Amino acid sequence: MIRNFLLSILALYQRFFTLLGFGSCRFYPTCSEYAKWEFENNSLSSAFYHSFTRILRCNQFFEGGIEYPVLNNLKLCPKKMDICLIKYWLVPNKKNRYYIIKNFKYKGKKCLKN
Amino acid sequence: MFEKLTSNQRLILAVAISFVFFIGYGYLFPHKEIKTVHNTAKQSPQTKHTSLFSEAKALVTSSSSKKVHVTPSKSDTLVVVKSKRYILKIDTLGRISSMVLLAKKYITKKGNPTQLIEQNGEKPLIIRFDKAALNKQATKIAYEATAHEIDVKNGAKSVTLIQKLPSLTVTKKITFYSNGHYSVDVALSKDVKYSIGLGQRPMVKAKMMTVEGAMIYYGDGKNKIFEDGDAKVKHIFHDVHFVSAFDQYFGDIFYNIKKDAVVTVEPGLKNNPLVYISGSKKMQLQGYLGPKNYETLKSLNPLLVNTIEYGWFTFAARPLFLVLAWLYSIFGNWGWAIVALTVLVRLVLYPLTYKGMVSMQKMKLVAPKVKALQAKYKGDAQRVNAAVMQEYKKHGVNPLGGCLPMVLQIPIFYAMYRLIFNTPELQGAPWILWVHNLGQMDHYYILPILMGATMFFQQHITPNNFTDPLQAKVFKYIPVIFTFFFITFPAGLVLYWLTNNLASIAQQYMVNRKFATLKQPDDEQSVEKLK
Repeated sequence: MIRNFLLSILALYQRFFTLLGFGSCRFYPTCSEYAKWEFENNSLSSAFYHSFTRILRCNQFFEGGIEYPVLNNLKLCPKKMDICLIKYWLVPNKKNRYYIIKNFKYKGKKCLKN
Repeated sequence: MFEKLTSNQRLILAVAISFVFFIGYGYLFPHKEIKTVHNTAKQSPQTKHTSLFSEAKALVTSSSSKKVHVTPSKSDTLVVVKSKRYILKIDTLGRISSMVLLAKKYITKKGNPTQLIEQNGEKPLIIRFDKAALNKQATKIAYEATAHEIDVKNGAKSVTLIQKLPSLTVTKKITFYSNGHYSVDVALSKDVKYSIGLGQRPMVKAKMMTVEGAMIYYGDGKNKIFEDGDAKVKHIFHDVHFVSAFDQYFGDIFYNIKKDAVVTVEPGLKNNPLVYISGSKKMQLQGYLGPKNYETLKSLNPLLVNTIEYGWFTFAARPLFLVLAWLYSIFGNWGWAIVALTVLVRLVLYPLTYKGMVSMQKMKLVAPKVKALQAKYKGDAQRVNAAVMQEYKKHGVNPLGGCLPMVLQIPIFYAMYRLIFNTPELQGAPWILWVHNLGQMDHYYILPILMGATMFFQQHITPNNFTDPLQAKVFKYIPVIFTFFFITFPAGLVLYWLTNNLASIAQQYMVNRKFATLKQPDDEQSVEKLK
C-alpha cells in the first residue's frame, strides 16, 4: 500500500511538478523515473536509499549520463511472455544482480486486447 | 488523454488545477480571524473549569456576549501604566487586563490599535490558590494600589498592589520598564500554596502555517511547544528557564524562573494551553509583553531569542535571520537587507549554477542532433531521453544542472518563507516607493506581477530541452500560476523571489554574451574550447 501510494505521488510529480525543475536531470533514466523503477522492483528501504543517493549525485560535480537501477533480488517468474507484456529487461550485472532496463515495446493492458 | 485536447482546453485545465490547489491549500491552512480590541466580543467566553471565574463566564452565551465586561464584572481598571510604546492596565484582581501597543505600524486596517490581552481569556499575573475557599475570596476582594497612574516614559517605575483577604495579605510589587519588560515581587503574609498564571496568549494575528501556543524552555536547552488544541491533559515541568505564550509576532513571557518552581501546562478553552508557575511565600518573576523583536529579547536575557519560533524549520531559519539582521545593520532598511541576502545566497551557489548555465549553452551546439533524435522517436519521451543521453555522452557534455541544485532551492525558499512570516521587525518596514510594509502583501500587486514578468523573461532566455510538447506548453503558464500563488504572500517574500529571478537573468545574460563572442558557435572547435 505504501508502495502504491509513493508510486502515485511519483506519477503526479512526473505529470505536473517536473515543470518547475526545467527538465534538468543529468541522468537517464531521470531521477523520478529511476525512483519509479526502484520502487516497482526493489524493497522499500533499498529503493529509498538508492533514489535518495541518486538525487544527491544529480549535480554538476558528478558526470551524470546513463545509470540504470539494479535489481537486488530475482523472484519473478512470469507465466506469459509477450514482447509487449514485458515491462523491464533484466540484464545480469554481478552475481544475483540485474540492471533494470525499460522495454520500449511495453504496452501493458493495451497488449492484452490485441 | 492530454494529447487530444486543444491548447485552449489545456489552458482551462491548467487554471482549473491551480484553482483546486489554492482552494485545497486554503482549506488545509485557513486564515484565522484577525482579532483586535473591538471585535473580541465575538469570542465565546471561557468556560473551562480551570478558570477562576468559570461560574460567572458560564452564564454568558456567545449570542449575548456583546457586553464585553460581563467577565467578571468586579474587575475594574486599577492602575494605568503609560509608556511611549504601550498603555497597560491592571485590574482590581491584580491582573494585566489590557496592553495596547501605540506604534503606528501596529494599528490595524480598521484603525484600531493592537491589543495583546484577550478580553475573554485568562489574564497574565493571575494568582490561583490551591484552596478553593481562598480562591473564592480572592475573586471578590479587590486589590488596592499605591498609585493609579504611572508613567514610565522617563525610566522604570514601580507600583505596589495589595489584596487583603480575611486570612491572608497578598502584595505584588510590579516594576514596569518602557520596553515591555516588567518585574514582579510577590509576597504573602502566610505560606500558602498558589500559582501565577501566564494567561491566554496574544491573539492578534494568525496567518497560515505560523506556530501559536505556549513554549516551555527547560533543562539544558530543551523546548516543548504546545500548539493550540495540543494541551489535552495537564503537563508538569521542572527546571524551567522561561515560558512564553505567543502568536505570530507577539509574546507573553515569564523568565528568570527559579529552578525549584514547578510549571504546569493545563488545558484551557478548546484545549489551548494555559501556563502556571508555582509560587512561594516570597518570589520574584520577570515578565515581558510585546512584539518578539530579536534585539529587545536578547537585551533582556539572551535565552529569550528562543521564543522567536519559526516552526520545525527553525534550525535553518534562525541563522538566516541572523544574517538578515546583520545586513539590516549595514543597510538600515529591511527591504535592501532582503535583496542583499538573496544576492549573498546566489553568490554561494554561483559556482554550481554558472557551470550549469555554461554547459546548458553547450547543449545548443549538440541541439541539431538532439532534434533529429526527437523526430525519430516522436511520442516516446523516455526513449528520446535515452537516445539524447547517449548523444551527450558521445560528445562528453552534460548540459543539465541536475536535480540537486533544484531541490536545494526548496529548503532555502522555505526557510525564507518561515523567516518572513515570523519576524515582527518586518511589520511596517518599508522598502522603496510603494512598498510600505514588507510583512504584508503588496496591495498594489506590483511586486507579484513584476515577479511573474521576470520569471517569464528568465524562461524566455534560458534554453530548455523539453521532449514533450505538452510539458513545454504548460511550462509557459508557470509564471502566471506563480504570480497568483504569490499575490497574498508578504511583500518581503515576493521581493526575495523577484531578486532571485533578476539574479538568474543577469547570470544568464552574461553567459549568453560570452557565447555571442565565440565566432562560430556550431563548429566543433568552440565546443572543445568550452570543455
